[in-house]
Amino acid sequence: MLTIARLFGKSPFAPLQTHMDKVASCIGELPYLFKAFLEQDADAIQKIGEKISKLEHEADLTKNDIRNHLPKSLFLPLDRSALLDILSLQDALADQAEEIAHNAALLPVPLELIPEIKEDFSILCQKNVEIFRLARQVIKELDYLLECSFGGIEAEKVKGMVEQIAFYEYETAKIKKRLLKTFYSKGECLPHPAFHLGLILIEEIGNLAWLSEKLGNRIRMLLELH
Amino acid sequence: MGLALVLKALVLILGFYMAWNIGANDVANAMGTSVGSKALSLKKAVFVAAILEFSGAFFVGSSVSETIQKGIIDPAIFQADPMIFVLGMMGSLLATGILLQFASYFGLPISTTHAIVGAVLGFGAMIGGLHAIHWSEIGWIVSSWILSPVLSGIVAYLIFLLIQKKILFALNPVEATRRLAPFFVFMCFNVICLSLCYHGLAQADLDFPLSYAFSISCAISLAAALLSYTLIRNRPAASSLLESGFHPAQAVSLEKALHHMQRVHLSNRSDSHSTRISRILDEVRALSDDVKKEAPFQDSTTQYHSVEKTFVFLQILSACLVAFAHGANDVANAIGPVAAVLGILKTNEIAPHSAIPAWLLAVGGAGIVIGLATWGWRVIETIGSKITELTPTRGFAAEFGAAATILFASKLGLPISTTHALVGAVFGVGMARGLRALNLQTLKEIVVSWIVTIPLCAILSIAMFYLLKWILL
Repeated sequence: MLTIARLFGKSPFAPLQTHMDKVASCIGELPYLFKAFLEQDADAIQKIGEKISKLEHEADLTKNDIRNHLPKSLFLPLDRSALLDILSLQDALADQAEEIAHNAALLPVPLELIPEIKEDFSILCQKNVEIFRLARQVIKELDYLLECSFGGIEAEKVKGMVEQIAFYEYETAKIKKRLLKTFYSKGECLPHPAFHLGLILIEEIGNLAWLSEKLGNRIRMLLELH
Repeated sequence: MGLALVLKALVLILGFYMAWNIGANDVANAMGTSVGSKALSLKKAVFVAAILEFSGAFFVGSSVSETIQKGIIDPAIFQADPMIFVLGMMGSLLATGILLQFASYFGLPISTTHAIVGAVLGFGAMIGGLHAIHWSEIGWIVSSWILSPVLSGIVAYLIFLLIQKKILFALNPVEATRRLAPFFVFMCFNVICLSLCYHGLAQADLDFPLSYAFSISCAISLAAALLSYTLIRNRPAASSLLESGFHPAQAVSLEKALHHMQRVHLSNRSDSHSTRISRILDEVRALSDDVKKEAPFQDSTTQYHSVEKTFVFLQILSACLVAFAHGANDVANAIGPVAAVLGILKTNEIAPHSAIPAWLLAVGGAGIVIGLATWGWRVIETIGSKITELTPTRGFAAEFGAAATILFASKLGLPISTTHALVGAVFGVGMARGLRALNLQTLKEIVVSWIVTIPLCAILSIAMFYLLKWILL
């Protein structure tokens, strides 16, 4: 008569964190990609891009696995929709990394023609990856949040982390604005396709911070703060 | 007189088998979590459970047993031929035993209580006619089957809400646990003492009126709470006040101050004070940021571990409570029919006021203990390894809710399913956002098997009755 034991379903939180780990391995490749991009190393870009693509696919498999094993009959301490939102935001981050990798491999952007943007560009890349790392920390805290039912000092801690993400996002937005300004003013010396691709890349890299902030805020909505 | 002796032996064996079955399968509900969280070793858990199951059965088991014995069907209907009643009760026991064996083989969530009530009901309605059944009593029992999981769920929900608001959401959870633990000890002892003192110690010729019983149990519980208070005090404390840096409480207070300042700032209409307010606001904001950086929010994980460690002791207490309540309620399933049969065989006529003899309750208790010792420990081990998710705080809330409900029902003489009460309590904790994932599918299975058990067992008991009649008479 193991009725009581059968009452406990398979928790989706561990797979959610596994998914985030896979997303992190995707985004962990981006710094190498940016380095190769700045060095105009087309071969390396190609290789890293393929690697990111593969990792993204793995993350997708985990994601589908979670979605398939999330029956309506599972009773969770948070809304199903919240869980699925978090999952799709994590997925969006992996997708964004893949997009960036694909676009970076499309055609060489002769950055040596506008050396002024190089520094800001690498700062932007670095900051965005950093913000993602913070968001990942928040997801790692999920275990402890469950332990204290989303309140108390643990919730305060997570709230602090989310606030930090928001602050960093604001800072990177400023960097992005400065970068865009230089890019537009010096853009004449670039061929049209390269200019356009540069804009897209800046936009997409900035999206990492934006998505990370959204993810943080989605977790923050679960907290019981007083 | 040869037949009577055979019947006597047979019914005792059947009753003992039922008690064995209850001990083997259901005690795990009480002790599983404590073994799973390594609060108790398996040996200790079996030992503690044996003592509490036995005392629950012996001291508080009589009122539910009387319900099964003569509350469901009116024995007076069978005045003309008491042997029919004897065979009917034996048939019910046999049917329940068979069904339970079948259920444990196929792993069906069948409740012993539902089975025995269904069996007695079936035989009574078939042989004695519909008027032989106390329908109002049946109404009470059935509504208690619906209400008991709900009630235990509500109690568990409230207890866990209390743990949440006062401990988990506190800025210093460890200190809050120290403060609240004696209160929980008081509650546990009060529940158990009250059920013992109020019409409980009848076996020991002690029977107090309610007010007297209440004050006695309060006094004992207070003593226990004081003892637990001193014990907790003596446990080495994690330093709550830091030598340097700020406390999380200070950070939160500052944040509140900031919040209020902002309100003042937003609602300010006069220009003359506006600069002053903004200056103070900026200062408070800067201070709050600094304090937040130094406040050790990072310790939260170790704090929660320490809370769970303290709750291990409370959870042992609540597990004992469940074991006691389980003994009190479920011994009736085995002993009730036996008492009915033995009462008749003694005098060869139906005595409407025969009480449950104390030795029979002891036999039932012993049967449960033997079932636990020979087989139940395996089930405890299995359950313990499967429900590690019920950590001490959650386990305490769920077990307290279930045990309080079961004891309450036992006092009212209502046979309820302990498993269902516990399931309700676990859901109560889940409702308070305490558990990671609960399977609603299992709930559906439980309800279905609840509905199926009763007619199935009724039919089976009628069949057994005719079989026994054909063999013995």
